[in-house]
Amino acid sequence: MAAIAAERYTGASIKRSEDPRILTGGGRYVDDVKLPGMLHAAFVRSPMAHARVLSVDVSAARALPGVVAAFTGAELEEMTVSGPDPLAALMGGPGPAPEFTLLATDKVRFVGDPVAVVVAESRYLAEDGCELVEVEYDELPPVANASTALDPGSTPLFANLGDNIARPHSRNEFGDVAATFADADRVFDFHIDVHRHQNVPMEGRGCVASYDADLGVMTVYAATQSVHVSRIAVAMRLGMPHDKVRVLAGDVGGSFGLKIGASREEQAVAAASRAVGRSVKWVEDRGENLTASGQAREESFDVRAAVSNDGDLLGLDVTMVVDTGSYPGMGTMVPDIMEAMLPGPYKLAALGFDSTAVTTNKAPYVAYRGPWASETFVRERALDLIAKDLGLDPLEIRLRNVAPRTDPPAMMITGRPLVGVTTRESLERVAQLADFPAFRRRQAEARARGRYLGIGVATFIEAAPGPRSPDGPSGPMGLETMRLRLEEDGIVALFTGQMPHGQSHQTTLAQIAADEFGVPFEQVRVVVGDTEAVPFGLTGGSRSATMTGGVALHGARQLKAKVLEFASHLMEASARDLEIVDGRVGVRGDPASAIPVSEIARQAAAGEFGADVDTDLQVEATFDGGEGGWSGGSHCAIVEVDVETGKVTVERYVVAEDCGALINPAVVEGQVRGGVAQGIGAVLLERSAYDEDGNYQSATFMDYLLPTACDVPRIEIEHLETVSLDADVNFRGVGEGGMIVAPPTIVNAIEDALAPFGVRIYEQHLPPSRILELLSGADLG
Amino acid sequence: MKLPSVEYEAPATVAAAVDLLAEHQDEASVLAGGQSLIPLLALRLARPALLIDINGLQELSGVSASNGWVAVGAMTREHVAEDSKTIADSVPLLAAALPLIGHEAIRNRGTIGGSLAHADPAAELPAVARALDAEFVVRGRSGERVIPAAEWFEGYLTTSRRADELLAEVRFPAAAPGTGVAFHEVARRHGDFAIVGLAASLTLSGGTISDARLAFAGISDVPVRASGAEDLLRGEIPSAELFDQAARRATEDIDPPADLHGSSEYRKKVAAALVRRGLQAAAENADERQ
Amino acid sequence: MVDITVRVNGGTRTGSVEARKTLADFLREDLDLTGTHTGCEHGVCGACTVIVDGRAVRSCLMLAVQAAGSEVTTIEGLAPDGAMSTLQEAMWDSHSFQCGFCTPGFVMQASAFLKAHPEAGEQQIREALSGNICRCTGYQSIIDGVLLAAERNRQG
Repeated sequence: MAAIAAERYTGASIKRSEDPRILTGGGRYVDDVKLPGMLHAAFVRSPMAHARVLSVDVSAARALPGVVAAFTGAELEEMTVSGPDPLAALMGGPGPAPEFTLLATDKVRFVGDPVAVVVAESRYLAEDGCELVEVEYDELPPVANASTALDPGSTPLFANLGDNIARPHSRNEFGDVAATFADADRVFDFHIDVHRHQNVPMEGRGCVASYDADLGVMTVYAATQSVHVSRIAVAMRLGMPHDKVRVLAGDVGGSFGLKIGASREEQAVAAASRAVGRSVKWVEDRGENLTASGQAREESFDVRAAVSNDGDLLGLDVTMVVDTGSYPGMGTMVPDIMEAMLPGPYKLAALGFDSTAVTTNKAPYVAYRGPWASETFVRERALDLIAKDLGLDPLEIRLRNVAPRTDPPAMMITGRPLVGVTTRESLERVAQLADFPAFRRRQAEARARGRYLGIGVATFIEAAPGPRSPDGPSGPMGLETMRLRLEEDGIVALFTGQMPHGQSHQTTLAQIAADEFGVPFEQVRVVVGDTEAVPFGLTGGSRSATMTGGVALHGARQLKAKVLEFASHLMEASARDLEIVDGRVGVRGDPASAIPVSEIARQAAAGEFGADVDTDLQVEATFDGGEGGWSGGSHCAIVEVDVETGKVTVERYVVAEDCGALINPAVVEGQVRGGVAQGIGAVLLERSAYDEDGNYQSATFMDYLLPTACDVPRIEIEHLETVSLDADVNFRGVGEGGMIVAPPTIVNAIEDALAPFGVRIYEQHLPPSRILELLSGADLG
Repeated sequence: MKLPSVEYEAPATVAAAVDLLAEHQDEASVLAGGQSLIPLLALRLARPALLIDINGLQELSGVSASNGWVAVGAMTREHVAEDSKTIADSVPLLAAALPLIGHEAIRNRGTIGGSLAHADPAAELPAVARALDAEFVVRGRSGERVIPAAEWFEGYLTTSRRADELLAEVRFPAAAPGTGVAFHEVARRHGDFAIVGLAASLTLSGGTISDARLAFAGISDVPVRASGAEDLLRGEIPSAELFDQAARRATEDIDPPADLHGSSEYRKKVAAALVRRGLQAAAENADERQ
Repeated sequence: MVDITVRVNGGTRTGSVEARKTLADFLREDLDLTGTHTGCEHGVCGACTVIVDGRAVRSCLMLAVQAAGSEVTTIEGLAPDGAMSTLQEAMWDSHSFQCGFCTPGFVMQASAFLKAHPEAGEQQIREALSGNICRCTGYQSIIDGVLLAAERNRQG
């Protein structure tokens, strides 16, 4: 690869070091892993939403030539350590722990619930084997939706819970809710629904588990967001010491929150590998991914808003019900984040928040890019609805309510300081770029000709990583660790627990380290994906720009100090007078003195020095997030609605975003556009649909529709890098923002397009048929 | 999603293919382009005992015109038909529909005969065949039969081809001078199956409509001719009001299915909009082709 | 089991396969050409796209036995000996991809399309690639890569 010349790498759209292999078919994804004697697993899955399992007979499967083993849920319980799903333990919130078995044993709780696993010479044969497994079910009344689940008479999914409440009702209040509502000029009441949709990475979940009986070691090749979290899950389930489990990951084909830890299926495959003494591969197919991997976002909200006649949003009182599907996990935790984030960047004086989470006979609720996103949807929808009623412009009402950027910063009523938030600037900028007045003229002309265009705007903030917290690290999920080492050949190696699955960490972290240490970009190598090699870490929560970018920066600085300290002994100069430029260590002002960093490293490894000379050229750096900070931005969409067919075209999409300092603008823009595309998908195309008996209806790509190149317009992005909070680390996360704010942006635009018809929208999913329903139901006054 | 076990034969002649069909009847599936059949196999929704791969039957490929008809061999790839000057000149409605079939990679393998034998009511080609009264030439042990389109489509994914017959050729009538066409569909995304589609053809003679053809995709278990609307249009001068009337007439008796992508009411409304738009476009094209 | 001989990436390859094995699985498993990816196995996502006898094809919708006697090009064979094609270079320069799973399908489809339509504009390119699904990028960077390649091809 030709050397990349740049004044400074950080801030430039440096070409990715991942791409040569990605573009030429050289990527190594989990399904590319082939081990000697490797077998393949497939799962028998429940066709019923809710049923007792009376018997599972795998004998015919076992007898099929090519099938090596088959295990029922009950057999797997004998082969593993019983206990809750580790992911539920990691992600779950308050609420009782439901009984849990690795695969279904006496009960199935959703269509796709795994009941048995068949291991064979090929995936083809394993599926043949699955067809021969006989399961006797005794059907139970389905709990197909939240209202059924809330009914105490509904059949409990979990006998030990006694009902279908996964997280009991709770209520918190911030500020004086009663007084704020009593004194308000106007009180609005809305019911807003967000529909079920899901992650759908192009690569599904999967692993290759390989048990070495001689060494007592389990190696798992995984598709994961954290090799260490996967390791913990497998070790716990198999009752093995952690240091006897090794997890490796190569390239990961997207995740968006899905591939955290090891799923039930992956743990079962590890147990199967140990039992048969051979490597076993399982990669889910698209049907499994859509039906069983997990779904998200099914939340409903009763919203009350206390408002002044001039449009001040004084208070919100929100009651939320989360449909967490079966096997509660993330869904019971999400109300807490939503509550904390609901005020957004606004001057909200009072917030009441009620929440309940219920279990239903659907796939489990999983984290999906910005799991708390519905708070932005609810708030930004509410503002538009209020604005319409009061005759206010949507920009005007937002600008009126944005908390000013003061010092000390304004506080969210839920407790976090709004430090460095540039909502006003991003709203004004996006309005400028979209040119509202010109659009309104065009809109009027179009209406006269029977065409319906609309414009919508929405704004958000996200804690990526969030402002510095007085009592601990800024970042969620704690301190970030990185080991940095100067290798003998002069390579600066960064060992990180980050597990990129599209985030381009191998490029961005190298940019930062190269700048800080003083070597060419090509001389930095980012090592990921091996529990033996990297410290604990997890990619998620839009934290890595700050946390990992920051630890790379500080770590490189620390490593450089160490290297220069050692070099000072070699070069007979004070470390203070040495510098590293373009991979060479030399005395400042004396270029002839410079020698390659590799020579320094070689000497440290080979030479003999006194005990007072530190030749161990590596550091273990940690970073607590520094001053942290918020990310955010404002989005604006222009849409056209065909009122005869209900089809919506997103004509133009404009973003003014603030994620602090950019490491690599092309990477930032890619994250924003990808998130917006998912938002477009959520509103116009994607729905994880169940019928009233709990049968899943979106199990292929012909029914679960993803946006294509004809559905996503050019997305114009302007970056605001306005507020520095930290002396060194002002990179803030950007991974989730697009997906958080795009849905309300588009729904706001659609409602604006349909304004002549008096349509009001209280939901997020607007396929063509729904648009026509709204039009025919609206008051055509 | 791996295919189930299946036997496989790749006959070298049509006669050999017909013999296999006669022997195995409903236990065999004919594999042409595979763009519809292979997904069904992968999803294990279809379980034939035998696949009869007819991709080696070169004699079933080709487009030729004679006596006012265009004959399209059943194994003619959709992309070949798309590039055919004969079809563009003589069967403009077919030419209009072809680019809407899936995506290029699908059309590189998919065949005219395969699509019409599969008979998905939401697909484009069945509506075209129905609109134009195409003829289906099948070959069996007992010889050749010609089946008019009105009798070809029997039900959902069901045609009147007998289990021992092979679809060999589809014949489309050449368009008369003064014919304008439109194929419009409302689909969720570019390249998807139609939620509702309309094949429309108008022949103008001296400013009045001498022939009108309208066939819907996606509103029933078979493609549906809107004969009532066609009768209403014949002999009249094109106008927005006329097309409006035709739209109402074409949709007043239909009872479309409901699914994830649209309710019955929705399909009805869209069908009416497509009639208005399709007739408008066809009338404009007819003027161009004079 | 059926014995087949296929020309793949300029070389002759043989195999013994069940009739039911897809071309995608044959390439990945029997020939160790894992660059071709399966994203759905029912012909919608396009990740498995390869070139067969000069035309882009979804390898999950072909049986391996149907490729006997044909010329197949996969992502590994697009450019010789570790070099990159103009398209691949342009996509690298354009930051076209993120996780990379959809990439081989896009590269093969775009490559075939540009050969046949060297003058294509953005809308045409979007339509041509609308049968390939990407979950990461929102497509703009991919389109930009294709447009850049087309421009560089024109400049020669």
